Amino acid sequence: MSLASLRNNLQPDGPVLDIHVHPLNCFGTFKPSSPKEDAKILIARAERSGITKMCVFSLYETTPYEPTPEQCQWANNYVLSMRDVEPDKIIPFCYVTPAFPHEAVMEIERCVGNHGMLGIKLWVARRAKDINLDLIMEAAIAYDVPVLQHAWLKSMGNLAGESTPFDVADLARRHPKSKIIMAHLNGVGYRGIEALVNLPNVVVDTSGGDPESGILEVAIKRLGAKRIVYGSDAPIRHFGVMINKILGAEIRKTDKQSILWNNALRILNIDH
Amino acid sequence: MFIDINAWAGMWPGKPNIPSQIKPIQTLLSQYGIEYIFMASLDAPWSGSPHLSNSIIYETEQYDHISPVPVIDPTLPTWPIELDKAGVKIIKLLPNYCCFKLKEADELFEEASLKGIIVMVQVRMEDPRRHHTLARVPDVPIKDIMDVAESYPKLKIILGGVNTPSSFNLIPQLRAKPDIYLDTSQLDGMDSIKMLVEKGLESQLLFGSHAPMFMPAAGIARVLNDLPDEIAMAIMRDNAAKLLNI
Repeated sequence: MSLASLRNNLQPDGPVLDIHVHPLNCFGTFKPSSPKEDAKILIARAERSGITKMCVFSLYETTPYEPTPEQCQWANNYVLSMRDVEPDKIIPFCYVTPAFPHEAVMEIERCVGNHGMLGIKLWVARRAKDINLDLIMEAAIAYDVPVLQHAWLKSMGNLAGESTPFDVADLARRHPKSKIIMAHLNGVGYRGIEALVNLPNVVVDTSGGDPESGILEVAIKRLGAKRIVYGSDAPIRHFGVMINKILGAEIRKTDKQSILWNNALRILNIDH
Repeated sequence: MFIDINAWAGMWPGKPNIPSQIKPIQTLLSQYGIEYIFMASLDAPWSGSPHLSNSIIYETEQYDHISPVPVIDPTLPTWPIELDKAGVKIIKLLPNYCCFKLKEADELFEEASLKGIIVMVQVRMEDPRRHHTLARVPDVPIKDIMDVAESYPKLKIILGGVNTPSSFNLIPQLRAKPDIYLDTSQLDGMDSIKMLVEKGLESQLLFGSHAPMFMPAAGIARVLNDLPDEIAMAIMRDNAAKLLNI
């Protein structure tokens, strides 16, 4: 086996959509001088690992757990500027906080309705079981865009506003017509997979966490390959490490293609 | 083609669906060009006596190109027997799981220094956020390991399972101590290894897969995707070959 052939084996043989990427100005050691530079560096690194397109959402440059509506607007404007650099490669998601549900709906109207963002990002301001999310979910259903909800199940306990997979399951039951992407398969673990078994309106993304063996195989067995989408959580995580959680798994090639590309297209309502 | 200095065999609680026996783990690693493996017991961290749990890795005598890495508890009186097992080039310490302080291993460090045996201290086995709620094990304080390095300047030490932020904090100390090495198994994040190389640590990075806990393809990608052939091969093989006389 040559080094060149091994390098080739670590690359996907088809298109890949990464559903979970942050700008460099939110996390990591890069300090881009502008959204344009941010986009260029991020795209170059993504392409090095075979990523074709990516959904990008900012959590504001200081990543506060309780962002203000103005900080969310700033974050969304930043991502829109990134999209302008490579509209075919960067798919912007709208970041809002359920702490301000009415302002959140106005921001969704601006970003999704007027600027063509294709999804909504919720982080750790409020848990998914909080009724403050309901207005946001209704807006998402109206625009037919998915809501990507951060989730973890931490041994030391989650943050006050940080959703567990059981909170996400509660959200999915309250809004059965919504499309929910629950983040961080490796962060929610086997219990998180079980929480979603009977909830077809939720898919789980593979972003973040360590490249733990065996968990993707369990997720496919319990949820089916159509309910899993590839995500990296770059730049916190390495595109190449995260994509090889899929490429290196003991699963069917068709399931890999679904996870890396087809499922995301279906959820985002795009054809390429 | 590659050397893996941080692989395991055995069972890990709560992970019934990962390979545990030597042969399937070797087969898995060989699919990615890993031809020489340093393997420790995955049962040892949770065992009352890691020395008893080391038996699985002595089965590696039946296989080519797998070297046993015994886990040693220096507070057990049988540690010299484990250290003196024939052909051992690396020993592994898990002070956080085996519940001892590195200060209690002075005699062991003296002996390892004299015999030219390399000591790997496993800082972390898995993300602490993913531990079982009733079995949370803190990382080994890196300062404790660097204190050992200070006290035993002839001892060669590998830091296993260090994460990226900790590795970045260590850069000045590592540059001053070329006999201290980092394994790559938990150095995640965009460009993390490339940045460590650019900071002058190329010769101190050793590829470790942490298989079967982690997927080897992912661990290899973080080296190969970012670095040119010569530097990638140094990390994937040449540094370990030089250190271990392979």
